Amino acid sequence: MTDMLCGYLDRDETIVAFLYDDLDPARRRDFEGHLLTCAVCREEVAGLRGVRTTLARWEPPAVASLQSPVAAQSPQPWWRTIPAWAQVAAALLFLGVAAGIANLDVRYDQRGLSVRTGWSLDRSSGSGRSGESGGSRGTEVAQSSSPAKDAPWRADLAALERQLKTDFHASQVSAHSSQAVAQSIRATSASDAEILRRVRALVEESEKRQQRELALRVAEVLRDVTRQRQADLIKIDRNIDLMQNKLGVEVLQQRQSLNYFMRVNQRQ
Amino acid sequence: METGVDIAARGLPRPSPHMTWTDEELVAKSIRGDADSFNELILRWERPIYALAYRTIGREEDARDVCQETFLRAFRALPGFRGQAKFSSWLYRIALNLCRDWIRRERRTPVVPTPEDVDLLELAAASEPSESIEELVARKDLSRTVERAMALLPEEQRTAIVLKEYHGLTFQEIADLVGCPLSTVKTRLYQGLTVLRRELAKNPSTKSTML
Repeated sequence: MTDMLCGYLDRDETIVAFLYDDLDPARRRDFEGHLLTCAVCREEVAGLRGVRTTLARWEPPAVASLQSPVAAQSPQPWWRTIPAWAQVAAALLFLGVAAGIANLDVRYDQRGLSVRTGWSLDRSSGSGRSGESGGSRGTEVAQSSSPAKDAPWRADLAALERQLKTDFHASQVSAHSSQAVAQSIRATSASDAEILRRVRALVEESEKRQQRELALRVAEVLRDVTRQRQADLIKIDRNIDLMQNKLGVEVLQQRQSLNYFMRVNQRQ
Repeated sequence: METGVDIAARGLPRPSPHMTWTDEELVAKSIRGDADSFNELILRWERPIYALAYRTIGREEDARDVCQETFLRAFRALPGFRGQAKFSSWLYRIALNLCRDWIRRERRTPVVPTPEDVDLLELAAASEPSESIEELVARKDLSRTVERAMALLPEEQRTAIVLKEYHGLTFQEIADLVGCPLSTVKTRLYQGLTVLRRELAKNPSTKSTML
């Protein structure tokens, strides 16, 4: 780039129009004539053509076709448009209706948990109830709820109650027995050393783990600080470039003003 | 002299062979509720709009978002489109406004991310069959240099250069689009190109073309 000046009328706009072939024939002939005699403009036009050549080689990265904002190209299945809650409700309704139709029967008895449908043939209970007509499900449920042997959960409950009573009694007995307490203390003191050793080991391990975590955190902080510092340096660098750019524009404007004054002087 | 030249006629958008409707006809059909017509408009214009957004804001993902948002806004505003301007100009204006919003939101000059390490495999995948790795790396270098130089320009200069250089708009079309006098567009172009010339001359990969 040259710092020499040229006083051609509307020089900058004319150069741009010339570069983009936007001058009318008369103006174009005039400017071409000027270029023959003005080295400054000739050099600038050639330089700016070089910029255009370089710019022409800048391609944006390839991008796949954008998904259409208007959903018409690939319509979703109709059931995708139904809200999730409605789908869940429909599923539950379907299960309920299916269970009703199938006459579903869930039982927990001595044979364990069993699930049956009205379509299943109950041969074992059918023989016990030979007098009953057809073994209807309603009758079966009514009969099975009355005898204790058909309700095993009651036996389970009773066993649990007995177990709890025994435990409670045992604890009361041991509380009142000083001998038992002394024995217990002796047994405990014998294992104190072992427990203490274990606790110390645990504490040491915990301290080591905390130290490791602390070291990791410090390393992370250091890395973040370094990264931030680099980012700041880049930012500063760019700002300096930007300032230089603005300075360049100002110099350009100054030069345009000078050109204008020169033209005015030439006319006078 | 390039005045009043239709943007679509310059071969920038690639119309589908199945759809020979003009933009205006497709717009009219879209307003009547034909979604396929609007999709055809998207197919025609997504690439130029994406390129405009990318060169203006310099970020791939954000350019893609801007492009998508442009078509969404256009679709929503379609009933109010009276055809007072060309559809393409209207679309460009929406995209430019979105780019401007993005730049304001970011509150900084757009910066093109430049990866520190170059993945040769990734590069090779992006290469053309006839292109050697050296040529490919040189092309990437050049692109990066241009992107950096463009990022240094003030927004209005960058927009003027992008619209003129890559979208072939006339000075008058640019002036109408950005809402400034014709002479201002030329001045912005001159100043922008001059700064680019200085910046590109600093880099070895582009120095040879600068005089």
